[in-house]
Amino acid sequence: MTLTVDVIQLLLLISVAPLLRGIIGRVKARIQNRRGASVFRPYADLRKLFRKEDLVPSTASFLFRFCPVILFAATLAAAAFVPVLHASSLLGNTGDFILLVYLLALARFFLVLGAMDGGSSFGGMGASREALVSTLAEAPLLLGLLAIAIVAHSASIASIVQWTIARQPFELSPVHAFAFVALAMVTIAETGRVPIDNPATHLELTMIHEAMVLEYSGPSLALIEWANAIKLTLMFTLLIAIFAPWGVAASLSFFGIVIAVAAFSVKMAILIVSLAALESSVAKLRMYMVPEYLGVACALSVLAVVFTAFAR
Amino acid sequence: MGLVVIAAAKTLASSAVFLFITVLLIASAKRTITCITLFAAQCVIITAQIVAMACLRRSGEAVAVAVMVLLVKVVAIPYALLRVSTGLKVSPKVSSATTPAQSAFIAAALILLAFAVVQPYARDFALDSQMLAAATAMVLTGGFLMVSRRKALMQVVGLLVLENGIFLLALTTTFGMPLVIEMGIFFDLLIWVLLVGVFIFRIRETFAHVDVSRLRRLRG
Repeated sequence: MTLTVDVIQLLLLISVAPLLRGIIGRVKARIQNRRGASVFRPYADLRKLFRKEDLVPSTASFLFRFCPVILFAATLAAAAFVPVLHASSLLGNTGDFILLVYLLALARFFLVLGAMDGGSSFGGMGASREALVSTLAEAPLLLGLLAIAIVAHSASIASIVQWTIARQPFELSPVHAFAFVALAMVTIAETGRVPIDNPATHLELTMIHEAMVLEYSGPSLALIEWANAIKLTLMFTLLIAIFAPWGVAASLSFFGIVIAVAAFSVKMAILIVSLAALESSVAKLRMYMVPEYLGVACALSVLAVVFTAFAR
Repeated sequence: MGLVVIAAAKTLASSAVFLFITVLLIASAKRTITCITLFAAQCVIITAQIVAMACLRRSGEAVAVAVMVLLVKVVAIPYALLRVSTGLKVSPKVSSATTPAQSAFIAAALILLAFAVVQPYARDFALDSQMLAAATAMVLTGGFLMVSRRKALMQVVGLLVLENGIFLLALTTTFGMPLVIEMGIFFDLLIWVLLVGVFIFRIRETFAHVDVSRLRRLRG
């Protein structure tokens, strides 16, 4: 039974990811007084891309075709770590949060590699920028999760969630507050959303993620885009699981699962709408300001770790 | 009634955390308008705290103080500062001597210092150490803002944060000063902000900038 729910929540996470992208786009369009495309458009995009021919640049090596597959696989493996519907997950007991962070880093590494292999100058530029952002984002991400792990006395995400559920809502400790702000900032940087990178840009000079995938087409592009959508969902789910897991199914009854799905949808909706509102109200940072932004996140996460010494 | 008491207790318990975050964000903000908005948010938190305290201790005076904080610090002062900052027509940046990340790290260090320093006092007098630390951190960060920001307007914001810290310190250690004294302080603060507003406009008219680091030539 546990295994079934674990598999269901993994499938839910993967299948709902493009929908979340669609909803973000729709909400942003509404805020900007446009009608916006259907929320199911990302699915149609993926289907279209999977049917198309996969073009490989003549200068590219065998890596070019490999990278999207490894990227997708690593992201999928990372997605199997986060609890969604109950306080456990498919790989929850086999690894801790450090493995999760480095699975994401592995995915990123191969994306960067593939981008440089494509041979276009924009790909190389996007790749070096992505490398910069991920290098700087790694420290606050790890430190923020570490602070929570210290407070919860466990490095496994599933047991962190169980520890948080046992506490009262609104019983905020400074550790949680600082770690949340730091991880939310990192999430925006990691998933390439607006203050760091504009996912809807058409100007190559300002691109980070988009520049890296310029050379990709067909199924490879579909895999990259899907993996990117899963990563966004995964990071949001991680924030929900660590900071507001209340509502997940305590016992594996049908009723409990239904409530868990409802609670998860509400929390995800709040995060998505606030992301869309943020993206519509904030201008993209200059590339030189990105280290500053992540430096602030770093300060917050360091503070979170040090505050674990004072935690009650 | 029980629910109100629980909500009040939760507000008191969690407000220190939010104050820490506003302090850090003010230190790392890039625009004066953001700083002013964050200052207003900080005062909203303090208002909520006073209201919670009024609920727990059932004192009418505290409600009066809360109303005054709301009117003076959340509405009047931020409005006046926003008017000054838009009326000045200078760059919206805070023009700090430190970068945002450096400022955030320094503010973080100041918060830790505050936390370490207040521990023995909190133990001896059985006070809430988080609240005491938040107040001390606000005093320290206010001072840091005044030292590191070049723009005259940001020094006002720094001083206001510092004053908020002193106010909070009085609130946590003595559960609020007498109403008459509070009224006097608020009135002082309001007049002071108005005077400084006029003064900044005069600086701008005379020198065509509001950068205090460039006012050194005035020394005879």
